[in-house]
Amino acid sequence: MRYKSLIILLMLIGMAYSQNNVINIYNWSAYTPKSVIKLFTKQTGIHVNYTTYASNEELYEKLKADPSIGYDIIVPSSYFVQRMAKEGMLEKLDLKQLPNLKNINPLLLNKPYDPGNQYSIPYLWGTTSIIVNNKYYDPKTITTWNDLWQQRFYNQLLLNDDMRDVFSIGLAALGYSINTSDPEQIKQAYLKLRQLMPNVKLFSSDGAIPIMLDEDATIGVVYSGDAEQMTKGNKKLRYVYTKSGIIIWIDCMSIPKNAPHLANAYKFINFIMQPKIAKMISMQLGYSSPNITAVHGMPNRIQNNMIMYPPQNILAHGQTEGYLGKATQALYLHYWELLKISG
Amino acid sequence: MMSNRLFKIIAINIIFIWLAVLALLPFIMVVVASFLQQGDENLFNWHLTVINYTQLINPIFLHIFWRSLVVSVITTILCLALGYPFAYILAQLSEKLRLACLFLIIIPFWTSSLIRSYAIITILKTQGLLNQLLLTLHLIHQPLHILYTQYASQVGLVYSLLPFMVLPLYATLEKFDWRLVDAARDLGANRLRAFWQIVVPISAPGIIAGVMLVLLPAMTLFYIPEILGGAKSILLGNLIKNQFLEGQNWPLGSSISIVLTFFMALLIGVYWKFNKNKKQVLI
Repeated sequence: MRYKSLIILLMLIGMAYSQNNVINIYNWSAYTPKSVIKLFTKQTGIHVNYTTYASNEELYEKLKADPSIGYDIIVPSSYFVQRMAKEGMLEKLDLKQLPNLKNINPLLLNKPYDPGNQYSIPYLWGTTSIIVNNKYYDPKTITTWNDLWQQRFYNQLLLNDDMRDVFSIGLAALGYSINTSDPEQIKQAYLKLRQLMPNVKLFSSDGAIPIMLDEDATIGVVYSGDAEQMTKGNKKLRYVYTKSGIIIWIDCMSIPKNAPHLANAYKFINFIMQPKIAKMISMQLGYSSPNITAVHGMPNRIQNNMIMYPPQNILAHGQTEGYLGKATQALYLHYWELLKISG
Repeated sequence: MMSNRLFKIIAINIIFIWLAVLALLPFIMVVVASFLQQGDENLFNWHLTVINYTQLINPIFLHIFWRSLVVSVITTILCLALGYPFAYILAQLSEKLRLACLFLIIIPFWTSSLIRSYAIITILKTQGLLNQLLLTLHLIHQPLHILYTQYASQVGLVYSLLPFMVLPLYATLEKFDWRLVDAARDLGANRLRAFWQIVVPISAPGIIAGVMLVLLPAMTLFYIPEILGGAKSILLGNLIKNQFLEGQNWPLGSSISIVLTFFMALLIGVYWKFNKNKKQVLI
């Protein structure tokens, strides 16, 4: 008798978990506000399971190790969209099912990492550029990536602890594409970055904001979303766009192959592309929205915010990180390790 | 009686299965992975190879291995220098005080060491507690830049690992028969000589156990150099992480972990051998 009740209990638990009307979202931590998820459940009756990762690599490895793991929505960055699409890990999107795509800024669509947006829809985006504390340096004296090499920044520079981000600085300073696979150019970027090491105070892996706010570093290369929060917290900080071309990053919604709730995934992407929802996400997280209709509905101080919405002429000169292939990736990693042990 | 036996069998089997599934099996998988080729589309190609080990004979890996070793040896020496006097005094305190002090050593373990590393940031940073204190006392006029240097990560490592040195030392010194020191003094040895020739040799097992417990983790606690040292250098832990995540080269990452495991096993082997000889000498 005891066993019988146990079995019934287990069956009940099993039923609770196998209910059909769910969507499994695998996303960066704190990248979709709770209010948005609640609203989605309220509007559609679909229960949301929200799991998080801390890096694109983590997302990739997890899907690679278990392709039938059961996620319906993932949010990889541009270069991982390209890679995962190439390796057949993403579902080809039926854009006819996504009428709200009309709201997305055309300048952020049809990029080299995903021509025709066959596999991905922009979720949030931003730039990577220089933040400088005007108590110590005049922001007007910093106009190109090469200016970071000046001796006055000795042991003051904050960089992200991200291989591609750091190499992008070296490559952009030399005037090369940040997606180069030419071994000679990569080597030159490494040699150039070696000369930058005396200026590097730290590679930040866990949030650059407090470090710039408390002036533990007085100049840095950071993401625009972080820069927005930094300039609010410390009035002396200024975000500067270099004339030598900016770096744009785009995080995208994609559907992995074998997604168990395909119809719900389309519903979710469409839901996110509603101007009202896109506005909620962008305003709460402080990252730029690709949803141009949403942006037009925001207060003027945000629409005119140069950090979040750089002018079109600057945006048009942006480069977006793409995928390099395994051999080139290994070459970057080799020079990245050399760079770190030279410090 | 019967149920007692059944309980024993079940308990032993659960532990056995637990270890087999969660410790032995993953380890075997890592060993196997270290002999496979890196795949293009998949994580592995099923071709046996030793290339992941021959690749390790290169200047970068040797440099990183050497640097990790230096960092952990320095950490161990500092822990011993701080921990030995601590345990020595602790062992001679009254029982009540001793318990209170031991309690104070154990309390920090209730908080994750990652969080305690962040706490060190608030102490060491430019506008942190240490600098404010020194500035108020007029001992310095410019804030010290300690955070994001090698010194900061050394401070973090010693802080995190010190209890692992103190506890085994305390365990051996607590049992120490202090009359031996009196006897040595009676026979004409001065304090220092009594310490070097009586206390140190008898507490050697504690010293060795402490050294092992500090030396090995210090090589792989990668997050402390990352958080406090500004990630400006690579230690073995970071190297393994990089190969798995950035390089997507699981076979190479596996071979590095196997080499590290082997190195640790070697040290433990030396320790066992030493312990065995020691017992024979005493008998």
